[in-house]
Amino acid sequence: MTGFLRGRTAPWILLATAAAFPFLMQAAGFPYLVRVAGMIGLFMLLGLGLNFTLGYVGLFDLGFVAFYAVGAYATAIALRAQVPAPLAILIAVAVTLAARALLGLTILRLRGDYLAVVTMGFGEIARLTINNLDSWTNGPKGLQLRPWRPLQFLAADPNIQYYLLILAGVALGVASSSRLEDSRVGRAWVAIREDETAARLSGIPVREYKLLAFTLSAAYAGLAGALFALWEQFVTPESFVFWESILVVSIVVLGGMGSIRGVLLGAAILAGLPPLMQATLSPAWINYRYLFFGLILVLVTLFRPQGLLPSARREAELSS
Amino acid sequence: MKDSRRVLLKVKDLAQHFGGLKAVDQVDLSIHEGEIVSVIGPNGAGKTTFFNVLTGVYPGTRGEIVFDGRSIRGRAAHEIAALGMSRTFQNIRLFSCMSALENVMVGRHARMRQFLLGPLLRTRAFIEEERDVEARAKELLEFVGLKSLGNELAKNLPYGAQRRLEVARALASEPKLLILDEPTAGMNHVECEGLVALVRRVRQRGVTVLLIEHQMRVVMDVSDRLFVFDYGVKIAEGSPREVVANPRVVEAYLGKEGA
Repeated sequence: MTGFLRGRTAPWILLATAAAFPFLMQAAGFPYLVRVAGMIGLFMLLGLGLNFTLGYVGLFDLGFVAFYAVGAYATAIALRAQVPAPLAILIAVAVTLAARALLGLTILRLRGDYLAVVTMGFGEIARLTINNLDSWTNGPKGLQLRPWRPLQFLAADPNIQYYLLILAGVALGVASSSRLEDSRVGRAWVAIREDETAARLSGIPVREYKLLAFTLSAAYAGLAGALFALWEQFVTPESFVFWESILVVSIVVLGGMGSIRGVLLGAAILAGLPPLMQATLSPAWINYRYLFFGLILVLVTLFRPQGLLPSARREAELSS
Repeated sequence: MKDSRRVLLKVKDLAQHFGGLKAVDQVDLSIHEGEIVSVIGPNGAGKTTFFNVLTGVYPGTRGEIVFDGRSIRGRAAHEIAALGMSRTFQNIRLFSCMSALENVMVGRHARMRQFLLGPLLRTRAFIEEERDVEARAKELLEFVGLKSLGNELAKNLPYGAQRRLEVARALASEPKLLILDEPTAGMNHVECEGLVALVRRVRQRGVTVLLIEHQMRVVMDVSDRLFVFDYGVKIAEGSPREVVANPRVVEAYLGKEGA
């Protein structure tokens, strides 16, 4: 199966199948699944972003959701200032990159647990700031966005339109990640994860490359945030809680750190299961859905610590 | 070898203190292009610390290091590597979960130009650079005798092969000076001889070699000159013959009574 996924035509077949999916689901009478798949796509983007820091470079980052929020709020604020939506998306990505670079400059001297604690703290600070910065964000009441229908000519259903837009974003994210991975830059990141001192003495400017990975990861979060805001037409601090950061970390760990295919699978499982369980389980079981979720995580950690679809490099490291 | 032996590395009054501990102190020495020079001395004599100051791991407390005409003391380690000084480590430090080939490719980082746009757009320049670095890395693997092991993960290689891989990675940046920190540590007699031969072939490539070595047979065999360290200070230098005849060296190794 992995051989198939690595082939040359396979990505195009997957992409075509994914593009046909919402139309099939609509025809089959499961429009809810299109919405679920769209949310999975957003988490794929977030996972691909976090994969730069947590996967390649091995930096513990527990506040990633903050940049999802920055992307969403930047889009909302730009749109309410009468900026056209496509431009608002670009602005959101740029603002998210800038915010992330600024944070990286100040905290990337920290390592391991310390970095995890500080990023976690930043995630909470960001949420609390959004909650209290009424003049910009309207606080807990949230911001309403005017509707934007990007692909009206393809489908009348906005869910399908946004699904396709998110799919395009994921395709772009996968292509850019895998191209960077197989380059001097990607090799430098993995080298830093493997042995920072040896990397430095091999001529890699470690601090700059960490900052680069840290910053670039925000482009994916910013894009995901922008698409989320436009799709929902509404943003509130409630959408960007600590739990979401943990979910993205779990996606990367479950799938396999540093593995693009792993991140996609991890997002499909972890972002897909809870809503599916909510829709299918009998009311008596619904309250237990996060128990199943936790059980899956525990089992994977116990029996497949390298993740479900690890990259070749990672697989070797963790099975030793 | 060149006749006009240019000075490649000149160290003047170099010191590295840690609080009151003078790990390296008042070290003066020169290394000429094309030489193979060894640093010897008892454990704790400051040899590795000296290497760490040279390569920018430690900043140094005082003194000057002139490498290839440039003053480098206190510069960042990655800059010094890019200027043409590369090294291996006493305890092997490979990128253990990358393939042998990838390890060598990482070693060429400073000589490569492509950054973000090249790989993202897969430009012709990027593809050519990738081909070039891969070809060079394969050539270096062959040079150190690991031709068939390029796809093995570094950590799965046998011990002696890991040492050789470190040498290949260090050579990938086309250094002027290669620094080897105890390259024969833990090796058997046959592996040692192979490594000595490798060091000579490295010199034939036009690379100057500076090594820390404990096995006296290797030291006497391979070195043009020796520096002897004790308590952070250079106590002697000269040809291997001169150095073993030096009473201060005998004293450092065996103590005063033994001399």
